[in-house]
Amino acid sequence: MFITNYIKEVWGAVKSLAKGMKLTGYYFTHHKEIITQEYPDNRAELVLPERFRGEVVMKHDEHNEHACTGCTACELACPNGTIKIITKFDISPEGKKKKALDTFIYHLELCTMCNMCIEACPTDAIKMAQNFEHSVYDRRQLTKKLNRPGSKIREGVE
Amino acid sequence: MPSFENITNAIHTWLTTHLSAGWAFFIELVLVGVAAIALFAALGLVLVLMERRVAAWMQIRLGPNRVGPKGMLQSLADTIKLIMKEGLTPEGADKFLFNVAPYVVMIAAMLLLAPIGFARNLQIWDLNIGVLYISAISSISVIGILMAGWASNNKYSLMGAMRSGAQIVSYELSAGLSVLAIVVLTGSLRISDIVQSQETGWWIFKGHLPAIIAFVIFIIAVTAETNRAPFDLAEAESELTAGFHTEYSGMKFALFFLAEYINIFIVCAIGATLFFGGWMPFHIGHWDGFNHVMDYIPSSVWFFGKTFGLIFLIMWFRWTFPRLRVDQLLNLEWKYLLPISMVNLVLVTLVAIKQWHF
Amino acid sequence: MSASVIIFYCIAACILAAAVLSVTTTRIFRSAIWLLFCLMGVGALYFWMDLQFIAAVQIIVYVGGIVVLIIFSIFLTQQSGKKMPAPPGGRGLYALLATLFGLGLTASLIYQHHFAAVEAPGAFTADVAQVGEQMLSTTEHGYVLPFEVVSVLLLAAMIGCIVIAMKEPVNKKDKPELK
Repeated sequence: MFITNYIKEVWGAVKSLAKGMKLTGYYFTHHKEIITQEYPDNRAELVLPERFRGEVVMKHDEHNEHACTGCTACELACPNGTIKIITKFDISPEGKKKKALDTFIYHLELCTMCNMCIEACPTDAIKMAQNFEHSVYDRRQLTKKLNRPGSKIREGVE
Repeated sequence: MPSFENITNAIHTWLTTHLSAGWAFFIELVLVGVAAIALFAALGLVLVLMERRVAAWMQIRLGPNRVGPKGMLQSLADTIKLIMKEGLTPEGADKFLFNVAPYVVMIAAMLLLAPIGFARNLQIWDLNIGVLYISAISSISVIGILMAGWASNNKYSLMGAMRSGAQIVSYELSAGLSVLAIVVLTGSLRISDIVQSQETGWWIFKGHLPAIIAFVIFIIAVTAETNRAPFDLAEAESELTAGFHTEYSGMKFALFFLAEYINIFIVCAIGATLFFGGWMPFHIGHWDGFNHVMDYIPSSVWFFGKTFGLIFLIMWFRWTFPRLRVDQLLNLEWKYLLPISMVNLVLVTLVAIKQWHF
Repeated sequence: MSASVIIFYCIAACILAAAVLSVTTTRIFRSAIWLLFCLMGVGALYFWMDLQFIAAVQIIVYVGGIVVLIIFSIFLTQQSGKKMPAPPGGRGLYALLATLFGLGLTASLIYQHHFAAVEAPGAFTADVAQVGEQMLSTTEHGYVLPFEVVSVLLLAAMIGCIVIAMKEPVNKKDKPELK
């Protein structure tokens, strides 16, 4: 019947509104669950979640060796041309020419932190770092060279 | 114990003994005006800070906590910022109406202070149609909003103003009907009579279910009338940037902002007066000891406590419910609130005639 | 001259100025706003006479109802923001003549009527309860018949509005997609 439906509707609405108010009321009275961080004050002990994406870096081990073969898979995967890889040809001891990484150029100012390059990398050479304080006075400083000077590819990485 | 009643009486007797009646009256008018402006400024500072704190805690945040101890001076800093800002008038705007609109809204809010009873015997103007006066004057602020929307020469402002007008005109009906429920129970439109009739208990307890329904409808309708979330589609920032005050900046914007908070205070004060007994302390039947303890709390504390409780309720609504669409807004008023409040009015009349209330 | 009289002349001057501006301005929205100030001035005059109920009703009906309605219709009109051209000179002259004739007629009627002086000014009160009882009384000077006739008229107008605004009931089988 119309009247019973009407009353049911009003009652249901009141109940659902009360449910919402109960939740916010709970938050209002329980201040311990604060989820925001007082950032500049707690800079020393700031813990970011593991999946946070700050910038792309290249992993180097203690012998200053990386795993990048210069295959340009990341450059092809990048949707907005953030990565530019310059390759060179190394001469192996057997006298064979081999393609290798010369410079890994990374434009931080263009990067959207989409993670596509990391997923595309076949040798797991690059990763996302958690550093997020990127502001500089000159935008040229945002164009970075990711492989360290003098580094070379690790033995056995193809 | 110093109370507002003693202070006002002392000032009155001092003035009448030292000056002629006309000059004493004039000086009292000036004093009341200054007190009203001071109250406005204080309320603006307190309510803005309260809103931001409540919002933060409900969203599991901290809120303003940098300026002053625990962020207490945040709204003062905001005020200074607004005073320093340049007040722009957009090109193509109707300059006269554009500049007059915030003052119309503000003056309407100021006039509404007159019949409110702040404490025992502290009332600016106890006119015999208090409740009717309030609903009359509150309709003037719609005109201010419509003026602002039109004069800005901006499509967002115009749409915001039209939404606001449609909303306020329709919700005034159910707000008026729910106020009428208490008027039927009291038999008077005078605010002091309404407060006096609640000496033995507040209407929300004495009036049984009809009074509670009337209160719920009242609080929904006044939330809509003050253009607050979930009924803030007049200034819906995601659709209309800021609605009717999109083009305003600096002090003129501050006046709109202040008037919004003053209006909240006034409607909550009226709600507290009608349903929770205004400055009347909480009394339970024949518990004389308990009642005497309650009488020791000053009446102004009771009034402001109840009013701020209702303001908190309205803020709670704002930070819980999502915004309504225009059609949902009008459906709610015309298909739910208005029929329910009409049936409720009949119920209240029955209660009043049969003397079923305590 | 007492303060009360000065206040009366101030209110009257405001009403007259707003009325003149409302008919002379060439912008339709400003005209509505001046009309609003004029009506509010009349409300203030009622407050000055201590007829608070009538004053509040004046503000509710005219400011909250009629002027809002006028403003809404202006908002919904095309090109309402443009300045209207000033009326041609001849028409203004006739308007002035008509106004002067109206003024003369009213003034002569007022001067011919002999107003009895009120014994004690301010003794004239209109209590809300009295107004209500008079409105619903069936005795000699009761207004119950006009009251009911007006409410029937309003009901008819409301039903007419609903009929005009009502949509054709949409048959769901014909149009599966509701807009």
